[in-house]
Amino acid sequence: MEETQNTKKLDHKTLSHSFHLWFWGALTCFSQEHMQTFGYMSSMLPILKKLYPNHDDQVDAIHAYTAFFNTNPMLGTVIIGITASMEEARANGKDIDGGTINDMRAGLMGPIAGIGDSLIDGTLIPILLGISLGMSSGGSPVGAIFYIIVWVLIAYFGQRLLYFRGYSLGDKAVGFLVGKQGSAVRHAISIIGSMVVGGVLASWVNVTTSLRLRGANGKVFLNLQSKLDSIFPGLLTVAVTFFCWWLMAKRHVSAIWTMLILVAISLVGVLLGFFNPGLSY
Amino acid sequence: MTISWLQAAALGLFACLCSNSCMAGQAVGNYTIGRPLVGGLVCGIILGNIPLGIACGVAMQLVYIALVTPGGTVSADVRAISYIGIPLAMVAISARGLNPLGSSAADLAKSVGTLVGTVGTVLYYAVATMNLVWQSFGWKDVQKGKLDRLYAVNFGWPWISHALFSFLPTMFLTYYGATAVTVLRNALPMDGIAMKTLFTVGGMLPCVGIAILLRQIVNRPTDFIPFLVGFTLAASLHLNLVSVTIISLLFAVIMYEIEMNTGSTGTGSGSSQAQTASNSGSDDDDEEDI
Repeated sequence: MEETQNTKKLDHKTLSHSFHLWFWGALTCFSQEHMQTFGYMSSMLPILKKLYPNHDDQVDAIHAYTAFFNTNPMLGTVIIGITASMEEARANGKDIDGGTINDMRAGLMGPIAGIGDSLIDGTLIPILLGISLGMSSGGSPVGAIFYIIVWVLIAYFGQRLLYFRGYSLGDKAVGFLVGKQGSAVRHAISIIGSMVVGGVLASWVNVTTSLRLRGANGKVFLNLQSKLDSIFPGLLTVAVTFFCWWLMAKRHVSAIWTMLILVAISLVGVLLGFFNPGLSY
Repeated sequence: MTISWLQAAALGLFACLCSNSCMAGQAVGNYTIGRPLVGGLVCGIILGNIPLGIACGVAMQLVYIALVTPGGTVSADVRAISYIGIPLAMVAISARGLNPLGSSAADLAKSVGTLVGTVGTVLYYAVATMNLVWQSFGWKDVQKGKLDRLYAVNFGWPWISHALFSFLPTMFLTYYGATAVTVLRNALPMDGIAMKTLFTVGGMLPCVGIAILLRQIVNRPTDFIPFLVGFTLAASLHLNLVSVTIISLLFAVIMYEIEMNTGSTGTGSGSSQAQTASNSGSDDDDEEDI
């Protein structure tokens, strides 16, 4: 550490370039095998070029980022910021190597994906869409325009903030994100996520049965849906969701197979008269 | 209403921008341009009938609002819903002279959207598979030290995947599909087994997305409770989502305070529980949303 003559510092322009590469390119070259790995590598390039004037050092450094990476692309921006700061420390001769950086990335991408997906996909977007849909009923474009403006502003400035916060905190952010306070925050956030996701399910998904048993005189003596509603409104919707969760979490069935199982259940249900969406042109 | 080649090509371009791996970035592409509500506006502008476009977009957005797609898995494809399904629904609705704001127009839009969206999933996997080719170029570039070429790998080459599996399918399906929608409608009547099954599945697909989210959030059985409370607030008390969020904030604050305090009084069970929770949470680190 003592031998560092002039410390290398990333300027705002380089960081901003790196952020934009992530914002626009986190998933442009997506594949099931490497997911966001290439998005990550290209957003680190300006940083590596700035920190390592020597080309061979750049090639050396990029190898830390060839490992598989995948997280929620919005909240995951903070991880890019943290690595920018760690890379800067490494270039200044601090005791950090590619392995340290990779351990940090691998350790963060799971928790960040969990919070990000429930907070953004499960909470923020359904709320925004719910408001916008109300404004657009009757064929008015206002709701769509409202959604575009509000969401893009939140996404752009939110991610920008996350990137630079990640950079300024550096590996201290790791302590915050996976430490004691971080775990309390994540737990608290996951409560919000869980409750709103439950609300989203109840508000926008409605699995119902059309099963009605008729007596000899043609009178309905069992209307299953109203019976179920009197037990717990939305019971079937919750049941289907739990079934999917059970298949995937407990039986380790893939999402694709879960969907195919739903197709089979629907087909049988339709044939038996259990399901009838009741649409007409 | 007909769709010209120029209009079909414009729709194809938007399909490239919005679908995963979206060329306009995740936030602007998939999460903005790809949403059926926004797609309705764009299609309305391209086809010259904004109210009809918005009406179709609203109908399809209602089906897919809870369709969260984490974990790199999709059950319906946004490019197909928004830029194939909406234009076709618009053509079908105006061809039949339905009132764009009526419920039968909305039902027609939903059924076209569900059909096209589910089938369109093939396009998603096709693009992701073809990107493996560009990624193999990328690995060679990294080995040879030609780092600048990574920009082309990430931002340039995937356009070819999209030209083949987003642009062309969208252009041809919207151009020729206008007549196909009518044929399809006659071949698969609404009260037939196929459409009934498809629509039932379409109604259940969001449950898969929610279940994937639950898999990430739920580490122990009691974690289901907040989810069920949120569900009950909306289903039984008919609170809207903003109200549910505000109530959830209270529980979140209480949770935070409890956990911070148990930690400070020594070896609290709360922090060790949180530790195991975060450990098991990081097990499924393959989660990602599209």
